[in-house]
Amino acid sequence: MSLAETLDKPAFDTSPRDGAAADTAARRHTRRPGPSRPTALGSVLLGLSFPFALLVVWWWAARLGLVPEQILPAPATIYETVSSLITDGTLATHLEVSTHRVLVGFGLGAVFGLVFGAAAGLSPTVRAFLYPPVQAVARVNVLAWMPLLTLFMGIDEPLKYVVIGWSAAIPIILGTARGIENVSPAFRELGRVLHFNTRDTLRLVVLPGAVPSIFAGLREGLANAWQTLVLAELFASFEGLGYLMTWGRQLFQLDLVIIAMIVVALAGLAMDLALRWVERRAQPWKRETRDVH
Amino acid sequence: MNAPFSAPVPSIATALPALDIRHVSKAFVVDGKAVEVLADISLSVEAGSFVSIVGASGCGKSTLLRLILGLDLDYAGDIHLDGQPVEGPGPERSIVFQEHRLLPWLTVEGNVGAALLHSGLDAAARRRSVAEHLELVGLEAFAKAYPAQLSGGMAQRVAIARALANRPRFLLLDEPLGALDALTRLRLQGELKRIVAHEGATAVLVTHDVDEAVFLGHRIVVLHPRPGRIAAVLEVPEEARADRSSPTFVALRDRVLELLGVSLGEGRAR
Repeated sequence: MSLAETLDKPAFDTSPRDGAAADTAARRHTRRPGPSRPTALGSVLLGLSFPFALLVVWWWAARLGLVPEQILPAPATIYETVSSLITDGTLATHLEVSTHRVLVGFGLGAVFGLVFGAAAGLSPTVRAFLYPPVQAVARVNVLAWMPLLTLFMGIDEPLKYVVIGWSAAIPIILGTARGIENVSPAFRELGRVLHFNTRDTLRLVVLPGAVPSIFAGLREGLANAWQTLVLAELFASFEGLGYLMTWGRQLFQLDLVIIAMIVVALAGLAMDLALRWVERRAQPWKRETRDVH
Repeated sequence: MNAPFSAPVPSIATALPALDIRHVSKAFVVDGKAVEVLADISLSVEAGSFVSIVGASGCGKSTLLRLILGLDLDYAGDIHLDGQPVEGPGPERSIVFQEHRLLPWLTVEGNVGAALLHSGLDAAARRRSVAEHLELVGLEAFAKAYPAQLSGGMAQRVAIARALANRPRFLLLDEPLGALDALTRLRLQGELKRIVAHEGATAVLVTHDVDEAVFLGHRIVVLHPRPGRIAAVLEVPEEARADRSSPTFVALRDRVLELLGVSLGEGRAR
């Protein structure tokens, strides 16, 4: 998921341009020569080319028997297994259980993350109180907490919600707080000149300025949620995609492991795309940057 | 140092100066040391007149505007507006910054309308004022555009419309055209003059462009830097304001450049 982040477009510049670079007309006509950007379709094809190449290599390796079937099942075997998992509804059940866990956990993490992140971003006192523990906790993988947490919460659903929410909340807290802290002082000053009250300032200056960073936090939190889900299900679960992996490994049915991996990746990607869609909807001023003059 | 200007400028106002700056000094603390940026500035401006303040970078021009705006109250001396001391930002004052400082997430009309949130006008009156002022700067067709879609000159015109929307009695201009290309700047200087005269606001322009100062101001205040202090106050004859190539304009410009320490033998410098 971090790969998707690095491939993402550069963050939108919310700070006002400084004097030197203000003439848009000049900028439009002298586009900086740089690496040419692939078109939308081109970049989708480019993104698919590597997985496709991998698939071809895999298919050949299986066909030539370079790797034993028990270790690396052929793509055809995977296809058969996937078909049967789909027809008997097993895959749907596991996917549903996992998605439910991610949604509840991520939802909890998002609510906590946004609330505490906003508080930390708006109040230096809260920030001073919250940052050291959050920074410390962020450095300990949530799995390291699991043995301790199981003692308090058992190994049922609440445990999964808490660990998933926990891992999601940390980047959301940091992204939200950072986004609010970094709102341009020039715009805050403008707010004072225009006699904005607190509500105006939050609505017109702070929130829109912080949106990109908040969404960066949400997306990272969502990626964390999926990663933690798999680990939590490996650790303590009797259903879900992580469980499907453990089960496949124990039965030496590597096709199940591979299928579960692919499904997790696709589900995570789909939810990330959904978040990006919401992000775009939340910032109409970025969608309409075609020139009108 | 010349005495603060006090000769009458044609004006409909009473004898009380609209803006009265008396013995203002301001220091910043840098690395534990106090650095004086403004030293004993005294200046009075009559209602409806346009004062240009010129000086090299670092002479405290922008700081002076911040003090008039009420963004910074930590200084020595007094600033009075219509006899009232400045105690913070107020709706009767507005500013155009060097960068347009439009909020990227609001449309052009949203940005102009943001200045009217606490104007006491109802929604319809606010819309009318926004439309009027966009028309004044010639951008009524771009009301729904976002700032990123505008050129630098257009964005700055929106910023001017925003500053005027609430009909301020004092318009402060902090190098408002400094970031624009030479042609756009010339065109906007003419527009600015027309607009300010139309609104009847008292204007204080800070600039390092001597031509601009002469063309726009009724009076020119020349500041010397480190610390910023008034070197001279010059009156601009109507003839100079009206025609950039008149001998009066050229003579006044050369005088100001000389006061700023620019040697004219070495060719024109800004």
